[in-house]
Amino acid sequence: MSEMETHTSRAVFVKPGPGGWGRGLLLRTDGTRTKVLSVTGGGIHPVAARIAELTGAEAVDGFTTTVPDDEVVAAVINCGGTARIGVYPRKGIPTVDVYPGAPGGPLAQFITEELFVSAVGTDQVTPSTTDEAPVEDGPATARPAVPPREERPSSRDVAATVAGGGKFGQTFNSVTGVFVKFGSGVGSFVNTMLAAGRQTVDLTLKTILPFMAYVSLLLGIVTYTGVAEWMGRVLSPIASNPIGLVAISLVVALPFLSPILGPGAAIAQVIGTLMGSQIAIGALPVQYALPTLFAINGQVGCDFVPVGLALGEAKPETVAVGTPAVLVSRMITAPLAVVIAWAASFGL
Amino acid sequence: MHVLAVMAQQQPAQPEGETSGGVLGVFEWLGTHFIGLFNESGEQFVGLITGILPTLIVLLTFMYALTTFIGEQRVTRAVQWSARWWITRYTVMPIIAVLMLTNPMCYSFGRFLPERHKPAFYDSAVSFVHPVTTFFPYANAGELFVWLGIANGVTQLGESTVPLALRYFLVGILVIFIRGIVTEKITAFMIKRTGRTEVFADFDREFEAAKAGGR
Repeated sequence: MSEMETHTSRAVFVKPGPGGWGRGLLLRTDGTRTKVLSVTGGGIHPVAARIAELTGAEAVDGFTTTVPDDEVVAAVINCGGTARIGVYPRKGIPTVDVYPGAPGGPLAQFITEELFVSAVGTDQVTPSTTDEAPVEDGPATARPAVPPREERPSSRDVAATVAGGGKFGQTFNSVTGVFVKFGSGVGSFVNTMLAAGRQTVDLTLKTILPFMAYVSLLLGIVTYTGVAEWMGRVLSPIASNPIGLVAISLVVALPFLSPILGPGAAIAQVIGTLMGSQIAIGALPVQYALPTLFAINGQVGCDFVPVGLALGEAKPETVAVGTPAVLVSRMITAPLAVVIAWAASFGL
Repeated sequence: MHVLAVMAQQQPAQPEGETSGGVLGVFEWLGTHFIGLFNESGEQFVGLITGILPTLIVLLTFMYALTTFIGEQRVTRAVQWSARWWITRYTVMPIIAVLMLTNPMCYSFGRFLPERHKPAFYDSAVSFVHPVTTFFPYANAGELFVWLGIANGVTQLGESTVPLALRYFLVGILVIFIRGIVTEKITAFMIKRTGRTEVFADFDREFEAAKAGGR
């Protein structure tokens, strides 16, 4: 790398941009952490390049290769959805989102101010003048200090210490053991249910309700203004015959389009909602609902291939061959899925 | 819905008569339609919240609790078993992965596969994250509207969504199976074409050694 002579551990401060989330991250390279991972749908994002330039790290295109997690200074992502936004924070890697993302989705709990900042442009990346403590090991310190279940003394052990040894002690222990076990069983059941409820409400507030608000506004506008009718006239000849649907699936599965259309399934969700409104006004026959579901979703996950592979602990070579393999495969399987779905929708 | 759409079509005709009232008429027209737009959106919002949300919340709670009770450890063995054969690798394995670990952590089960099968498993698993939302919305609760958007339209026609949901789910399984097979073949082709045959042969040996060592 040309920045080799500047390869000292200089810190940069990345602050949130307008509408962004977070307090800002202080990033610096150290012994092993020397790479800035750019997971932005192919190529090095200018923000990643800027961070790399200022810290003396190397910018790596995360779409074509993987880097071991412990070599990554920071990950630069362009996630407007809910998946990638949480993957890197979950691994404890500081994450810079170039979109104005905020904690949401199933991994929202990992997206903390210590690890995440969003709406970042190159202007938000500045050399750090203050020498604050480096931001690292966020999740390690954030984890509660409760030892794992198997290291904690079991309730039976605790009960056994109460009555001491002897025959009476044994009987007493076996009786209380049953009660203690029952009691702790109920306790853990209730706690699990409560935690599940909390997780659900969190997800509802942070992900589902915002999406519903946005979908309602969109639906309200298209129905009130009559755009829905107009769209129906344009769409129904395309979407109500199998050839038109196969054509849609082919377009969304084009290898250069599919990674752009993928993030957060945002586009598939909007098109799904709009198609649903067409079904509701009768512009699109119900029997085409099934092939439509596959036609609008030929690009599913195409933006996420390297990250998904990295989650499966894939090696860089696998990402290099696997990403194009998945994208090319969709050219075959996306239209095929529509045809199968069309054949399966008779009698609906 | 149909009535509203018809009303919406007629609206542009209305203002012609009203605007003759001068400047005030224009503002009246603007005011009516500005608030009308959001009233309509609000109705849509209430429809979604009362129609979908209550069931969704209790179902999510139940399923999150269930997956916690079952635990990741217990399914690991089933996943390792299903990783062995090509039929189960792109049907049972991604289904268990998506149901137990949900999107996006489900892809981490790829670690039980040799390198050459990982892209195909990913393709298979990621293609299941929307069909799964028909009966198990918790597995991908952040991306419900691919299915719900379409299903909502069917509901508004007064028809049951269950037959459609069942077919989406089943065809989904068939599609992820085909996708797995096709992507596996294309990955093999890419390995050969980019001259990485040796590298991947090494990976296979490493994988076998790790598996033998793990037993």
